[in-house]
Amino acid sequence: MRVKVLRLLAGAAGLALMGVGASLLLDRQQDLMGVLEWLGGAVVLHDALLAPLVLLVGLVLVRGGVRGPIRGALLVGGALTAVALPVLLRPGPRANSTVLPLDYPRNWLLTLVAVATFTVLLVVAKEVRRSRRRPPS
Amino acid sequence: MRSRFFPPVFKGRLHDARTATSIGRWLGLAFAVCFCTGLISHFMQHPPGWLAGELPSRPVWGYRFTQGLHVASGIAAIPLLLAKLWTVYPRLFEWPPVRSVRHALERVSVAVLVAAALFELATGLLNTAQWYPWPFSFVEVHYAVAWLLIGALVLHIAVKAPEIAAHWSRRSAGTLSLPAEDAPDRRSLLAAVAAAVGAVTITTVGQSFTPLKDLTLLAPRHPDHGPEGLPVNRTAAAAGVGLIHPERYRLTISGPRPYTLTLDELRALPQHEVELPIACVEGWSKSAHWTGVRVVDLLERAGAPVHARVRVVSLQTRGGYRVSEMGHEHARDPLTLLALRLNGEELSPDHGYPVRLIAPNRPGVLQTKWVGRLEVLS
Repeated sequence: MRVKVLRLLAGAAGLALMGVGASLLLDRQQDLMGVLEWLGGAVVLHDALLAPLVLLVGLVLVRGGVRGPIRGALLVGGALTAVALPVLLRPGPRANSTVLPLDYPRNWLLTLVAVATFTVLLVVAKEVRRSRRRPPS
Repeated sequence: MRSRFFPPVFKGRLHDARTATSIGRWLGLAFAVCFCTGLISHFMQHPPGWLAGELPSRPVWGYRFTQGLHVASGIAAIPLLLAKLWTVYPRLFEWPPVRSVRHALERVSVAVLVAAALFELATGLLNTAQWYPWPFSFVEVHYAVAWLLIGALVLHIAVKAPEIAAHWSRRSAGTLSLPAEDAPDRRSLLAAVAAAVGAVTITTVGQSFTPLKDLTLLAPRHPDHGPEGLPVNRTAAAAGVGLIHPERYRLTISGPRPYTLTLDELRALPQHEVELPIACVEGWSKSAHWTGVRVVDLLERAGAPVHARVRVVSLQTRGGYRVSEMGHEHARDPLTLLALRLNGEELSPDHGYPVRLIAPNRPGVLQTKWVGRLEVLS
């Protein structure tokens, strides 16, 4: 009973907080259409493009005995790529030379090489450990 | 609508409630931290009237910590959100799409949650790179959608509470009813998600957590890149001030006993040295060594009341944040300086030559540069 009341209270609190957000947005009539487009666009981009693509890559590449490490490498590499997209792709002039001061394409490739190297080492280490454990035939 | 290809069938494993719960609680924590630190930042930059005079000036590293955490938790949430959405993706194609009014409302609330979550992380990340491809104003909209997101999240947790409880631990009833052979695969997936969070954190967090600055590969700022070893947001050229002539510079202090100082007179006043960070709302921060005149000394001479608020007016002619205000806590803090020197050298034009404000626990945009006037407010 107490749990049920707590759930109801939490649900009501959630609705109230959403109400705060909605009213803040409604106060900005001039921005509203743009915000709705970007909210909807984010969902469409994820659900219709990114997620199917990730599932497809998983279907094709993540299989066999090393599926764990391969999936791990793709996941870490993908996350690094997602976070690097703005610094890699930002068009237009910078506000000054201290904004985006690094060689991002190089750094991004470096992180991917590091992920690949680490994954290979991990697989080799596992393989070595497994073959040692196996009794000599 | 139903056909051979629709709704799609998902034969892959781990699209289950245990995986969703395991990733979801870390994602929930990241969003909670991100929301709270975001609120702190919002109130420090745009304090409502009742709070404006009472903002604390300590701890010295306060804003640096909360804003660094805001950006770091947002970046950490990116792999968590994508992994969570991957886990629950098959539910998008539930059949029938709507079973009841309650079910319809629940799906709408999840749609709001997903949209707001993707929106907040995407706009926040783009903002750190100063990339604004959207037609709306970032600060207000990012703030408003944050409330939408946290509300939808609380509602989602309330709706899913029984399922979350049933899959909370490895030995919970719901977890035990899932195929046992998935457990090692799930552990491997969760380890990969954790590794992804670690990887994106370690390659970006050095922009504010300077011990890791050498690993800063993908952050939009590097603590060492900038004049006098400090990054810059608005340059003197962008602010329309150019190089201010030292002979012509005047600092005006208005108050009960107003007065004006030349640059030489300012330099002749007792100088104090402080170690304070510049912490930008976009996430980067760095500590620096500042030398200058205590604001409290200038205020005393002007006969300012102890609880007076102070307005700091810049000589800049372009751009926002030309004027900043501070409450008595900041104005009276002995660490709050009108700085003339940075890391042992005279301020460079881009850091606010000849005089800039530097105060503890204060957002970077309010550390007004090229200060021309201090006004004691009643």
